Formats: sequence, structure tokens, C-alpha cells
Amino acid sequence: MFIVSCSQNRETTIMIWHSMRPLGTKILQQKLEQFSKRYSGWKFSQLFYEPETARTNYIISAMGGSGPALFWGASDNIGPFVELDVIKPLEHFFDATFLDSFIIEPIPANTWFQNHLFQIADRVGNHLCLVYNKSLIDSPPKTFFELRKIGKELTKDLDGDGKPDRYALAWNYTEPFFAVPFINGYGGKILNENNRPTLNTKATINAAQLIYDLANKDRIIPIECDYEISNALFLDGYAAMIINGPWSWGTYLENDIEIGITRIPLIDETGLWPSPMVSPLGYSVNVNLKGEKLKTALELLKYLTSMEVELEFTRAMGTIPSRKEAFQDSLITQNEIVQNSIYQMEVGILMPVVTELRWIWDAMRPSYQSVFTGRITPERAAKEMQELAEKLIKENRE
Amino acid sequence: MALSVGNIQNNRLAYLYTLPAIIVMGMVVIYPFFYNIVLSFSNMNLTHFNDWWITGVDNYVSVFKESTFWYFLFKTILWTVVNVFFHVTIGIFLAIILNKDIKGKSYFRTLLILPWAVPQYITALTWRGMFNSEYGAISLTLDRLFGFQIPWLTTEWGAFTACVITNVWLGFPFMMIVALGGLQSIPDELYEAAEIDGASWWHRLKNITIPLIKPVMIPAITLGIIWTFNNFNIVWLVSNGGEPADKTHILVSWIYKSGFRYFRMGYAAAFSMIIFVILLTFSWNFIKKTRATEAVY
Repeated sequence: MFIVSCSQNRETTIMIWHSMRPLGTKILQQKLEQFSKRYSGWKFSQLFYEPETARTNYIISAMGGSGPALFWGASDNIGPFVELDVIKPLEHFFDATFLDSFIIEPIPANTWFQNHLFQIADRVGNHLCLVYNKSLIDSPPKTFFELRKIGKELTKDLDGDGKPDRYALAWNYTEPFFAVPFINGYGGKILNENNRPTLNTKATINAAQLIYDLANKDRIIPIECDYEISNALFLDGYAAMIINGPWSWGTYLENDIEIGITRIPLIDETGLWPSPMVSPLGYSVNVNLKGEKLKTALELLKYLTSMEVELEFTRAMGTIPSRKEAFQDSLITQNEIVQNSIYQMEVGILMPVVTELRWIWDAMRPSYQSVFTGRITPERAAKEMQELAEKLIKENRE
Repeated sequence: MALSVGNIQNNRLAYLYTLPAIIVMGMVVIYPFFYNIVLSFSNMNLTHFNDWWITGVDNYVSVFKESTFWYFLFKTILWTVVNVFFHVTIGIFLAIILNKDIKGKSYFRTLLILPWAVPQYITALTWRGMFNSEYGAISLTLDRLFGFQIPWLTTEWGAFTACVITNVWLGFPFMMIVALGGLQSIPDELYEAAEIDGASWWHRLKNITIPLIKPVMIPAITLGIIWTFNNFNIVWLVSNGGEPADKTHILVSWIYKSGFRYFRMGYAAAFSMIIFVILLTFSWNFIKKTRATEAVY
């Protein structure tokens, strides 16, 4: 009886797996509760996972014939999901009017891959910006020359022990996603049109050298910093600026930090703006869904990507909505944070959805981390990244 | 006892009682085990996830040819030996103290079991925070007391040591409880007789305590070795998935990364079969040599 009851519950439960931060999770839960009033007999719930864990768990569960009805995340999941056949093509479930209501500029909101629609976005961006604490810094640096200059003034030894307690800038050093803007700022890119890695370049070496110097020579950024540490430093006023994405604005605003958003400073040597990866974030549908459950999940997807819901996220978190009408709303056009976030997005590079990108991230991670610790030189890091990326692609494409 | 039709018929009820356990074990242990063997001879990876086929011993050859296997095997052995050594010595040492008639014994016993009672996930992440070289409690304390900080998590051996310290903290209570149980079963008369004969503390420990707690400690140490050898949680969480630069891995954490991050399922399956053989050989010989299953008196 217990098993039968569990199975019935599963049939009438629409579960969403996502990687939204606490404030986003709270809003999502509220929206699910509101939506559930329209569908009595159905249960709507959500579960948070870190992005990597969400992807892995989703693949395993969907391959096994179960998993959540909807998966929310960045569009770079689409490549592996399609290759593993764990998400449904969506173009036949929605009419043209609905699909045309999503923005295509500055970036396309909905993700098509191999001529099929696999993700419908509720927001766009997911890009890194320079966030600064207005109580510590009046005017953010526009170039790296300025950053170094201001950085020396902002980095302070507050307790007189000869070591800095407050840094000018912090970011997550463990993820290569945070290194990409610098590589692009030196004129490089991490993969080419044929989806082959292009990491062993002068641009990667210069970017690695810049990051190393900021930590070890200029000493205006901490030597050891992961996502949690950088966020805690910024929240507690021990970092005047942070490189972070739109998922974090809400937390800063909730903690009454007066934040300003702007572009990551220009690289003086190249005259180029660092270009973060830009991607839509949205919902994909589990390949195992069918019948009434599929219908209800699609209705929920429509609701969660409605203008009303998207603007609610924007109001609380400063996210950039994916619907044309919402994108032109006064909440967007008159919101300083959102406008500056769009200003950074304009120089971003659309994140490729190909699976190769996963292996490139994995290949970059060890060498990128080694540069910070001084274990290897930037030249060797670039070479090792390239070799590992090629090895991983070869091993997985055999 | 050999499994025969007659045997099954004679003990029908007993087999019926064990049937649910046999079915569950079949589903969660036996089937996955054999499926893993099949996968280890296949080319299953992200590209061939649904259309994989048997490719022979390629994965086993890859594992043995790669230097990562030998390097992580060395690290795993070192990790296991260091951890189990400290688990057992600290555990027995504390058990001997707790076995004496000391004040507040139950209070100390509860306090010492606490690390074991806290979920591993919480402990690992707390220790990770404490190991941060600039803001962690350990580094701040070292800095205040001795004027230096250790870059625990950003150097290969610093991260390894951080994982060992965390796991020693987590693992000694188990050995302490087992040893305490063993100590309490030793009759006081043996110690009294030894004392009358003029045996020193060391002789009593060597000739009474250690031989008599051996029957309980050997299986515990065997289990401890297997658990530590396969202790994925601590290494993965404290080093944040093998940082820095994928240097902080033991064999199982590397298998997880290969299987569930890189989706090299065939390779990971072959790797896990090799670990299985290593552990089976070790446990078999260890139990045989130490005669752990024999009665003492």
C-alpha cells in the first residue's frame, strides 16, 4: 500500500530541480504555492542543488527513467543533456506567438540545439560583472591601471598586524568560469568555431599572469578565495569589490549593502573589455514526462516564464527578464542595477551549448588553480590546460 | 554448509525468512556488482552512453598505463595507514583512560563520541572553513601563537594533511568505543594477579590488554582500513573535489570524478574493479594472518 501510495504521489507531483540562491528559491516556492491553487490534486515542489551536482544528479535520475519534471539551469547544460537524451524537444508544445514573445537581443533567450528547442528561459545574463560597495568606493575603476591604483588605497591593514584585512577586490578562484573574462579581454577565447579548445595562447598566458600579479605582487586580492569566502568578504565589508553574477545581487540587497554594478575594468594593453560568458537561464523538460503530468509541467513552465513572475524576480534580485514585454518594462529601464548589468552583458560572449565546453572547464580548473598557488607558471598553465582539454575530448569522443 | 536441494527443503522456513534480505541484497549489491563488471569491459562514456558496446580490456590497460593510478594508489595507501594508525592509537589510549575509575567518566565518554555523532558532511565543511589560510580558525590561531600561517588548501600536501586531520578527528571515536568494549570484558582478576607477580604497566598492557582486546580490535581495524581506503566524503569535501589542481585525490574520489564528472563510465568501472580486488586480497590475508576469527579463551 505504501509503495502504491508513493507511486501515485510521484504521478501527481511536479518537481523542479534548480540552482537558484536562497532568495530566488524563496520566490520560486511562493510562485509554486500560488500556481498550485489552480491545480488541485497536484503537488508542486522544488529542490536546490549546486549547479554541478544538479547536472550530475539529473542525468543519472533521468537516465534511470525518473528525475524531476523540470530542470532549471544555465544553457550550457543543454549539450550534454541532448547527447544523453534526457530532455525533450519543446518546439511542438508551444505556439509561435508564445515563442516570439522572448527576446533575441542582446542575446537569444531560448536555446535551440540541433534544430530543436530545448530550453525556455525565465531570465538572461548569468554573466559576471564588477560589483562594488558604494559605502567603500565612490567611483569604480574603469581600467586595470585605475584598479591597481585604487586597489592600493582600498586594501587596508585594519588591525595593524602587517597583513591586509580588507582587500580591494575578491572573486572565486576555484572556477575557471571566472577567468574567462580576462582571457577574452586579452583577445583570446577558450574554444573555436569547430569547438576545439584554444587555450595555449598568449591571451591565456597574459590573463593568468594578470591574475597572479594581482594576488602576489599588487596584493589587492586575497591569495586564497573560493566562492563562499569571496562572498563573505564582500558581505562583511572586507572586500570593496567583487566579481560576481546576477544570482548574487539579491543576497547583497537583502543584506542592505548599497551595491553598484559595472563592467569589469578594461585591459589597458589591449584596449578591450573583459568579456564574461553570457547565457540564458531557464527550464528544460524531462524526457520521461508524458500524459497529464507533461501537460501540467508545461503549464507550470508557461507560468514561471510569464511576465508577472519574471518581474517579481527582477524586483527582488535584479535579474534580466527573458520576455520582450518584461524587458521593456519600467522596472528594467529605470533600474540602475539591471541597466548596468545589461551594460556588462553587451560586451559578453554567448556561452556555447556544446558538450566540449564541459571538458574545457574541467581541463582549465587544475592549471588555473595552480597559477594562484604559484605551483606552475602561466606559460605552463596554458600548455597543460590545452593538453588536458584535448585529452578529455579525445577520451570522451572515442 | 553446501547449498543443495535437500538442504533447502529441510530448512525451508529459515530460507523463507531470509528471502526478503536475499532479494534486497540481490538488487542493491549483486546485480550492480555484475553490471559493473560488464561496464568495465565497455566503452560507455558521454558519447556512447546509450549505445555502448564491449571493447575488451582497454579500460584496464588504460588504468594501469596512466601514472594517475599509481600516484593515487600511493596516496590512498598513505592516507589509509596514517589515518588508521591515529584512529587506533588515539582510540585505545582514550579507551584505557576511560576504563579507569575517573571523575566525570560518562561526561568525557559522551564528549569524545561527539565527533562521530556529527554528520560527516557538516564536519568536513566546518574543517574546510577552519583551514582557510587567511581567515580560518586554525591559521588564525597558528598566526597568533607562532606568527605563521600554513596554506593548507592551496598546496598539495597541505590539502592532504588537512584531509587527514579531519578524518582522524572523525575516526577515533569508533575505535575508542570498540576498544572500550574490549577492555570492559577483561576480568579484573588478571590484572590483580599480574600486579601481585610484579608486572609493570607496560607488561600488563603488552601481555594482557593488547592480546585480549585483539579479537575485537582486529575486525574493527579491518573495517577501519576498508572504510578509510574508500572514504570518499572527507577527501572530496575538504579538498573541494580534489583541489588544488586535482592533486588531492584517493582512488575512490578519482573514480567518482571520472565517472560522474567526466562520465567515463567504462573506465571508472574498471578502476573500481581493481580497487575491489585490492581490498578483497588485503582483507582476506589480513584476517587469515591475524587469526581474528579465532577465540582467545
